[in-house]
Amino acid sequence: MSLKLYTSALTQLRKLLSLSERISGREYASGWKKRTLKREKIKETVIRYVGVNAVRTQRVYLWGCSATGALGIQQFLRPNRLQKPKLKVPYPTRLKYMNEYDFEIYDIACGYGFSIFAVKKSKQHYLLATGINTDSQIGFHEEPKNSGRLLDYVIAPLPISLPLNEPELTQFKSIACGRAHTVILTQDNTVYSLGNNSYGQCGRGIVQDEVYSKSSRVNVLTDLPDNIVKVECGSDHTLFLTKTGEVYSCGLGADGQTGLGMYNNQGTPLKLEGDIQKEKIVSVASKGDCVLAVSKKGEVFGWGNSEYNQLSMVTEETQVNVPRHLPIAKDCGRIIQVAAGGSICAVLNEHGEVYVWGYGILGKGLQVDMSLMPTKIPQALFGESELLPNIKVTNIICGLNHFVALTDKGDVYTWGKDKDGSLGLGECKNQFFPLRVALPAEAKSIYCGVDHTVTLCRSFC
Amino acid sequence: MSCSRLQLTLAILKPDVTARPHIVKEIKSMILRKKFYFVESKKMKLAQSEIETFYKEHEGKFFHNRLVNFMNSGSIWAHILAREDCIKEWRKLMGPTKVLKTVFEEPNSIRGKFGLTDTRNCTHGSDSEETAKREIKLFFPEFDEEKWRANDEDYFINKKVKFDRKLNVHVPMKDS
Repeated sequence: MSLKLYTSALTQLRKLLSLSERISGREYASGWKKRTLKREKIKETVIRYVGVNAVRTQRVYLWGCSATGALGIQQFLRPNRLQKPKLKVPYPTRLKYMNEYDFEIYDIACGYGFSIFAVKKSKQHYLLATGINTDSQIGFHEEPKNSGRLLDYVIAPLPISLPLNEPELTQFKSIACGRAHTVILTQDNTVYSLGNNSYGQCGRGIVQDEVYSKSSRVNVLTDLPDNIVKVECGSDHTLFLTKTGEVYSCGLGADGQTGLGMYNNQGTPLKLEGDIQKEKIVSVASKGDCVLAVSKKGEVFGWGNSEYNQLSMVTEETQVNVPRHLPIAKDCGRIIQVAAGGSICAVLNEHGEVYVWGYGILGKGLQVDMSLMPTKIPQALFGESELLPNIKVTNIICGLNHFVALTDKGDVYTWGKDKDGSLGLGECKNQFFPLRVALPAEAKSIYCGVDHTVTLCRSFC
Repeated sequence: MSCSRLQLTLAILKPDVTARPHIVKEIKSMILRKKFYFVESKKMKLAQSEIETFYKEHEGKFFHNRLVNFMNSGSIWAHILAREDCIKEWRKLMGPTKVLKTVFEEPNSIRGKFGLTDTRNCTHGSDSEETAKREIKLFFPEFDEEKWRANDEDYFINKKVKFDRKLNVHVPMKDS
């Protein structure tokens, strides 16, 4: 924790103590006060040896399942002699690769067993990818060159080559990963897709019996409007968000997750209608088969799978194929962000409060819960106390069965089902309420896949 | 030799795990640890019509469409497993179908460990002897159960078999 934080905590404490003194009318310090002040003073003096030219630099900390190579740290899978391979890493580990090669990361996306980093190095932009590649979801990698040895697992970051007009000069605006496909939006508003297209999730027609492994195919999506600002992937479907707040989708529709009013698979992206037709959608979220969207006014919309009561506040059906308005804003306030996992849902309102519903470990107590209506998670669980008031959650995301939240103090909290160490709490155990991850840096943004989590941080000094 | 007969079942690893060799390897070692025998194994890609006949019993249910869709999305591993009380034991090792519940209720089953959602639930197993017979015929038309029972079953009962990692099957040690 930073120096500033302690100082403010100490001032708070002093204020509190002087107040209690005034009330009790005592002028001399009690033993308790003395002890507390002394203890806080020791805490306040933090000794650090920092070089004169030290600057706060970007750090990447990640944790979770490393058997796929999604963590990008080669030593876990190819250790030195005498060491065993580590297939699960349940604690934050630094990805030094980015600092070693002077890459500055500006966007990350995590899929099921693979991660993609959009990086910049002296005005040149690259897309680095690591992890499982059995559906060519992170491109065509031949190592060594011209050897015919194509990689099914990439265990350290490698660049993805895209058919760009100006490679290395094109910036990446948004990237998203699903179960076995990747969608990339570049600065010149072109959408590229890689990987499995068996449901049409890559935005092109479905070819029966197509082989996706070891393929060098990169698709350019031409059927989209030219004002796409964000792409988002569910497990096997893709959502596109335009600047004007429209949503387009393609891919698996068996649960209605494309929201196109049908249960068939859709190869080319089509525009969604239903309750969102007249709304300006600013963000969509989906990790499994349920989709949540939030409008500029702060209203929430949902479609897709509802077998675990994700959408049961508006319908009894287990599958919803058109966007429906969810009447939760009157209880939860103006919503700014949503998160939808396999059977869990969460929203974040403008006051930085998190509401959860669905089925699974929701974070409200020592049980696997089923909740039809959004319930608030007490701010105290995100570290709010008398000494540290006004904690706000700034970002909430989820995997299929777990949540990851980021607070404005730069702390990361996780809770839910621990799949291969994806919670990063040191042991592979289910966590029933939000708990802080021991990160040795200040987190700036969080990204999570099905079984791994990546945080983009700044070092303390 | 008068020992109790072995039961056969059809076990399928669905496209979600077949695309992940490290999970396939782990599931296979789980199966071997539970003392199942692999009688036949093959990696295959089903045609749409084959899947429709395979899931005929679920026709009309709300999940039928997504099941067919999912099975059509990639290649699968099909195995014939043998063991005493095989059908029940294999279903026990698999865990219940509803994965999002199973991950909490039976976290050590195959679906509890590797399953993603109710559709992407890793494995399939026959539910009775009749279905096992029917499904084995569908996936392994070349497999002759009568012949196997006459020639090879005794070797399996007396544990005179060796696991061949290349073929992914237990081979009877006939010459010893």
